Amino acid sequence: MSDMLIFAIFFAALAVMSLYRVARGPSAADRQVAVDSADVLITCALVLFSIYSGRGIYLDIAIISAMLGVIDTMLVGRYLERRWQ
Amino acid sequence: MAVRIIADVLILIGALFATAGTIGILKMPDAFSRMQASTCVSTLGMLGAMLGALLYAIFVMGSASAAVKIALIALLIFVTNPLGSHAIAKGAYRHGIRPDKPMEVDDFGRDFDE
Amino acid sequence: MRKTTFPAVLATFVVCFAFWVLLTWKFTLQELAAGAVVSLAVALFTARFFIHEKAGWLFNPVKFFNLLGYWLFIFPVELVKANVDMAKRCFTGCTDINPGIVKVPVDLKSDYGQAALANSITLTPGTITMDIAEQDGQTYYYIHWIDVKADGEEAGEAIKGRLERGVRRFWE
Repeated sequence: MSDMLIFAIFFAALAVMSLYRVARGPSAADRQVAVDSADVLITCALVLFSIYSGRGIYLDIAIISAMLGVIDTMLVGRYLERRWQ
Repeated sequence: MAVRIIADVLILIGALFATAGTIGILKMPDAFSRMQASTCVSTLGMLGAMLGALLYAIFVMGSASAAVKIALIALLIFVTNPLGSHAIAKGAYRHGIRPDKPMEVDDFGRDFDE
Repeated sequence: MRKTTFPAVLATFVVCFAFWVLLTWKFTLQELAAGAVVSLAVALFTARFFIHEKAGWLFNPVKFFNLLGYWLFIFPVELVKANVDMAKRCFTGCTDINPGIVKVPVDLKSDYGQAALANSITLTPGTITMDIAEQDGQTYYYIHWIDVKADGEEAGEAIKGRLERGVRRFWE
């Protein structure tokens, strides 16, 4: 099943690429969007890696990452909105 | 064997759309367009990878628990991702983030700025 | 503060318990009993935030099958079309864009219908719902669109025509 490992590495590499936008992005919203997408990509990589290694523990980590990824985006969005008033 | 090929093709489609979204995040000119590109990652990129993994878990591994968990992850991301998108788009606009090149049609600014 | 009604508690309890069973995936009596107690406590405290219309609308078979048909057939077609369009723009250098925010009238009445339509619009790449406003009894969405081609009613038809007709079949 080493094709799963290749795909997992590919998704993780995409997440690392989008970290460039986190370091570079001119505003907080750009950074948060890149972090959100990196979170989704890392979740996909975790699922594929758990298929490759055959261990269920990575799936639990992926569930938590999928749940918490939204909360930080909403927090940053709310915070930016409040600053305006 | 056929199932593995189908699953690989699905994950390959997901990887293609994820690549498109990542390129969009890196190269789009302003913050809102980057949000649009990141939607590409979290819908078809994620769905392709998860459907492929689901097929693997059901037919190759034969593990019901793993299949249920993968379906749950896909459902969670699919349901909750737009909430974050609403929040960050509205927050960014109200914070005063605008594209470098002014938008041609901007009803939100017209109704709420003054 | 809204009142906590019994159907709302029941519906929340069923959803919480289903999540518990799916996540643990063990069918011993102890696990199920612990899950039932925790789900009941959660449902009693949080039901009034989740459900404030009729909780049993899904038992209407016509609406249920319309819901399934929407999420299995109507929405994926739009999703794939928008995704291919967006991927094309991204692979050809991200210069073929014309972003703008359009204001679009929507005819759905219930909160759930509006939320379902707004989430569908956000999930299709190329459009993001930014805000919902109400003026003179008419609901408007503010939608960020990557390629503005029209304005007002025509923009609404181009963005959400099929999606809105699909949503109206199960949530008025």
